[in-house]
Amino acid sequence: MPRLSLTLPRSLTAALALSTALSAPVLAAEPAEVVTTYVDIAAATYGDALTTAQVLKAAVDAFVAAPSAETLAAAREAWKAARVPYQQSEAFRFGNPIVDDWEGKVNAWPLDEGLIDYVEAGSAENEENALAGLDVIATPKFTLSGTEIDATEITPALIGETLHEADGIEANVASGYHAIEFLLWGQDLNGTGPGAGDRPWTDYVQGDGCTHGNCDRRAAYLVAATDLLVSDLDEMAKQWAEGGDARAVVLANPEAGLLAMLTGMGSLSYGELAGERMKLGLMLNDPEEEHDCFSDNTHNSHYYDGLGIRNVYLGSYTRVDGSVVSGPSLSDLVAAKDAALDTQLKGQLDASVAALGAIKAAAEGGFAYDQMLAPGDARGEELIMGGVNALVTQTASIERAVAALGLSKIDFEGSDSLDNPNAVFQ
Amino acid sequence: MTIRIRLAVLACFLAAGGALALGAGPARADYPEAVRQTLLPGYADFRAATADLAAKAAETCDPAALAAPFNAAWDAWLEVQWLRLGPAEDQGRALAIAFWPDPKGMGAKAQKALIGADPALLAPEAFAQQSVAARGFFSLERLLYPATPLAADTCPLIRATADDLARMAAAIETDWTGSYADVMLTAGAPGNATFLTESEVRQALFTQIATGLEFIKDQRIGRPLGTFDKPRPELAEARASGRSLRNVLVSLQALRAMTETLSPNAPQTLAAFDHAIQLAQALDDPDFSGIADPSGWLKLQILQQAVDATRQKALSELARDLGVDLGFNAADGD
Repeated sequence: MPRLSLTLPRSLTAALALSTALSAPVLAAEPAEVVTTYVDIAAATYGDALTTAQVLKAAVDAFVAAPSAETLAAAREAWKAARVPYQQSEAFRFGNPIVDDWEGKVNAWPLDEGLIDYVEAGSAENEENALAGLDVIATPKFTLSGTEIDATEITPALIGETLHEADGIEANVASGYHAIEFLLWGQDLNGTGPGAGDRPWTDYVQGDGCTHGNCDRRAAYLVAATDLLVSDLDEMAKQWAEGGDARAVVLANPEAGLLAMLTGMGSLSYGELAGERMKLGLMLNDPEEEHDCFSDNTHNSHYYDGLGIRNVYLGSYTRVDGSVVSGPSLSDLVAAKDAALDTQLKGQLDASVAALGAIKAAAEGGFAYDQMLAPGDARGEELIMGGVNALVTQTASIERAVAALGLSKIDFEGSDSLDNPNAVFQ
Repeated sequence: MTIRIRLAVLACFLAAGGALALGAGPARADYPEAVRQTLLPGYADFRAATADLAAKAAETCDPAALAAPFNAAWDAWLEVQWLRLGPAEDQGRALAIAFWPDPKGMGAKAQKALIGADPALLAPEAFAQQSVAARGFFSLERLLYPATPLAADTCPLIRATADDLARMAAAIETDWTGSYADVMLTAGAPGNATFLTESEVRQALFTQIATGLEFIKDQRIGRPLGTFDKPRPELAEARASGRSLRNVLVSLQALRAMTETLSPNAPQTLAAFDHAIQLAQALDDPDFSGIADPSGWLKLQILQQAVDATRQKALSELARDLGVDLGFNAADGD
């Protein structure tokens, strides 16, 4: 039963506004056009994530075939370049279950990297994870939850189906960007001081000159993990291309699609980026609590997340080749309902991109993200909290946009859980 | 479709208004009552309970003597823990008060460096700069209920941790009474940039209730529950002090109390709370070690379903009554 109150519930106000707007002769974008822009941007973004991962794959193959300081540097650069489109795609994750269910395979973090390869003595301890120091590269046969595992041959299937999230532990990240990052950079042992991971290229030398042992298995792991990343991204790019399910789901119900867009923007802004990836790391003062902790590329990962959120709202994505995919936008829709809110939200999205840009600029100037996490580092804290606060601020406006468009997260979630009554058994 | 639902709500709204006008009207309940009758007293209780704990720790570091004030302080925190906005979120205080879950085992790691550390690191200002994983109730629990006896003298760290908790609790309460309560109570007033309308406060509180229930279901119960084939009692919250079930129970009671002061018209939600609370009270498994056994596992799973049913009821009934939608929350990420 509704409350007895002098204030009309917001949803009613919004519904009345919506019905008024529908009858008004405004040349605004239609929801169906806006979600079409959205799926086109998603297809372009995942398409770019795929092609840049294919470039990474070629660089990894070249490195493994002829290990040297130069080929390792080229592989590292290719990895960083691959992150640029992928991070922008994160704005599609929340709100699209097809993406969210898949995401853990490619971008899970943080990881107990001692599962994969050698680590500094004493750094592979985790009271909640018995496999934190397994070192698969040095261990062709081992027991996992009572089952004998033959890891003599390191394949994408072994990584994706047996090792990833082994024993049900989320810190057992065996696949994806961060596993590859660890294999290219190694542990960053500089704490909150300057410097990233410094794995020697000789870790991949076959035969004499191999450092840290098992260079053949290490190379096999790196190649298999990169192959798996490419095939996982290929799957997601197809999901958003013509004929893909993720695309079809959004286009089939434009109103639900609009909500997916705003949910993706708000959840990435607030719970994920501002909370889990930025504020928590700052409060833990732990250099491993940076998203790209081996490569010290976190400033870019955060920045491109912020850009991806704005892309969705403005209906525009600049591809890695410089071409632009754009069309009728969420901004157009919100402006037709509440011009002031649209102006405010656009300003706030620009402000968060600028705040994340300040972190990127500082890092590129030599003040790395893990240095910003040092206890008592006032400048680092100010930079990071500048980003956090901007993201939290825009989340409130994203919430207002949900209401302004007359959308309901509850209706959406309700149908989701009704479809899934046995989720607890999965 | 949405428009049709909204109009149905409007019709119901008008009908209810007419019906209620004939009767005595509901008990007054809305966000000002929630602030004044539940939140402010809750933060005052938390301040008092942590001050008691710190005072007792100044007298003795005997775990047996500290058990009662430790448990009372943790209970008091659970009254307000679910509210992930306002002063408790400033400076990462809520994280520092109760850092859990901790899947990377950072608490134990960070704390190790402080046992037997330079006393200067334990001084208030320096201690407040430590990692949130090294502070708060879980750090105190590791010292008071160690799995294996700790070699070094932990008394200085016990005192520093208890004092730090008391300081954070005092700062939170001061910020609430000094400013944040007014931010909520002046929702919609010119110049209030946080809550542009009264409805935004209702939506914020509602979202926190729903998120609080989700945290109980997914984390406090879901983590140890694991799967039927692989229960994970070792992942239960506050296992060492035997508070795993109590944390569920007291949190449910706190969320029920908030629901009741926020809305006079959510009988099904309150009934769902009562059912979950009864199940929790009937469960005789303080640290969830009983879930290693199939019948114990099923009992905890039934409680989890009751918590989820309460959340679903809140989403359908309470949200409609308050006229709000589910907002974004801090748990939206991983």
